[in-house]
Amino acid sequence: MRKRTLKRGLTAFWWLTLIFLYLPLAVVVLFSFNAANSAARLTGFSLRWYHQLLGNEQIITAFGNTLILATCSSVIALAIGCLIGYGMYRHRHRKLGWLIVLIYLPIVLPDIVFGISEMAFFVQFHRLTGLLQPGLGTMVIAHVTFQIPFVALIVYSRFVGLDPSLFEAAKDLYATPLKRVIHFMLPTIKPALISAFFLSFTLSVDDFVISFFTAGPESATLPIYIWSAIKKGVTPEINAIATLMIGAVALAAVISLAFNRQRKV
Amino acid sequence: MTDLTNTVKTTDRADVTDTASRDKRGASSIRMQGLRKQFGRDSVALAGVDLDINAGEFFTLLGPSGCGKTTLLRILAGLEEADDGQLTIGGKDVIDMPPHRRSVNTVFQSYALFPHLSVRDNLAFGLRMRGEPAAERDRKVAEVAEFIKLGSLVERRVDQLSGGQKQRIALARALVCEPDVLLLDEPLSALDAGLRGQLQVELQRLQKRLGVTFVFVTHDQDEAMVMSDRIAVLDSGIIQQVGTPSEIYEHPANAFVARFMGHDNLFAITASESNWVDTGLGRLQLDPAEQRDTPDGWLLIRPETLELGGDVPADYNRLEGTVEERLYRGSRIEYRLTVNDHPLTAVAGNLGQRIHDVGDRVTIGICPEDLVRVAA
Repeated sequence: MRKRTLKRGLTAFWWLTLIFLYLPLAVVVLFSFNAANSAARLTGFSLRWYHQLLGNEQIITAFGNTLILATCSSVIALAIGCLIGYGMYRHRHRKLGWLIVLIYLPIVLPDIVFGISEMAFFVQFHRLTGLLQPGLGTMVIAHVTFQIPFVALIVYSRFVGLDPSLFEAAKDLYATPLKRVIHFMLPTIKPALISAFFLSFTLSVDDFVISFFTAGPESATLPIYIWSAIKKGVTPEINAIATLMIGAVALAAVISLAFNRQRKV
Repeated sequence: MTDLTNTVKTTDRADVTDTASRDKRGASSIRMQGLRKQFGRDSVALAGVDLDINAGEFFTLLGPSGCGKTTLLRILAGLEEADDGQLTIGGKDVIDMPPHRRSVNTVFQSYALFPHLSVRDNLAFGLRMRGEPAAERDRKVAEVAEFIKLGSLVERRVDQLSGGQKQRIALARALVCEPDVLLLDEPLSALDAGLRGQLQVELQRLQKRLGVTFVFVTHDQDEAMVMSDRIAVLDSGIIQQVGTPSEIYEHPANAFVARFMGHDNLFAITASESNWVDTGLGRLQLDPAEQRDTPDGWLLIRPETLELGGDVPADYNRLEGTVEERLYRGSRIEYRLTVNDHPLTAVAGNLGQRIHDVGDRVTIGICPEDLVRVAA
């Protein structure tokens, strides 16, 4: 009897948690379809705010910037992180192997510290060399920096989960070093790579703080645009952008999760 | 099985003419000279190994874990580099040749089947990496799949196979490349006893039909004896003895080999003359051919050579003992005896003669020619 009460209590707790997490999102989504220009009452279903988005050039530019930034940084982070992940695996028994924890730094550092450091560096670098003017370029570099550890860790954990004899079997079966990469390593870690790409992409789209400190005047992303627009109050238009972003990020996260699962088969 | 093996053999032959550059495919001798390998500062894996393996031989490296047998196999495969020494396979110096250029294939202990590939693509991997044309590849893969009687599994994923099936696929994946030497690293250790016995026989038969040189690593002396033409017993990175199964079992070179081959009845020799030795059991007559240069060492009594009870012929050694324990093993009965306070094991075939009881006093007859002197 007591057991059943406990079970019911836990179920209720689970639903409360879900409501706590998702109710605010639901409100945003709901009001993005509100016909009235008000956050106080719902008057009916309408897509007018979505239409209005399409006409707003600033939003279109910000959307484009976000996509370019997320794609470029994810591709670069994937390439570098993949190599680092393999390096971590290959040399995991080395004496100084523990130094690899340095790669976790961007994960544990507060974003604001990370963002300010990046900004300070870029400003100095630009002053001294005339290169790297704040803009999409600097943002890509900053994003790559915080994406790399995630990619490296996903790739590393995939390699660690493999039977080490597989690497030797590939050598034994006449595969040259290049063929080992093409026919054994890359296909074997493919699910991990896809998962890492979508995770990086999500992290980039989500990021506000680091983007804010490294952006130039022309390179506002959606989060930066929302932040500046919101000073004038939460408009239904913002709700519409937020709803689109929720959808996009959820999709990327689900893809990432699905491929990360698959590798365990 | 017989018909299938013959098919593969004939196609094997056909390929020999295709690649005339390679003499006598499927049968390469191996010569190792002074092979040394050390891991870290003080862990010696191989302390100078000299060994000749004949072409077409089923050769087993036998020893306890850490004896260096796997390291030696990995050096043959090219997966490990020797610190020092010479290695030729089929007369060719391969010591600096990377594994992907050696005509040697390995069956790994864990099978090492590629999880991202189907059974078919696993089988074709070596041929594909070697750049064989697709048509040729498909033909060989189909043939080998048929040969191992797993033709119906080629479309499966590797994780849908049982242990025994994986083992066969791993074997086929190596054999389809038609290597000069096949290396097998404890390939049967993960299987249950019944399947293992069956595969031991199959492997041995297969090797005889293909005529490929097999180098087999195991820690199981029974497995080694059943399958091998010759065995090398290793300990602490040193070869203790090389010989046929009967040579090694019946005339072990030293006490380590004797114990590793499962012999319990070893008695320290305290004094000896040309035709007798003194041990804890008393003075025993032996064949003068067993005379050794050194007076000490061990006397080996194989338990199955002891004759319990009954009349002891005049020229036999005669001992008196007490049965302390009796282990009934069906086809044979194992007795744990004490003779002069020394334990002695005897094994008698279950031939319907009197079975001795615990506590019985029994006479023990030993033919002098069955006694073997073993170096320390």
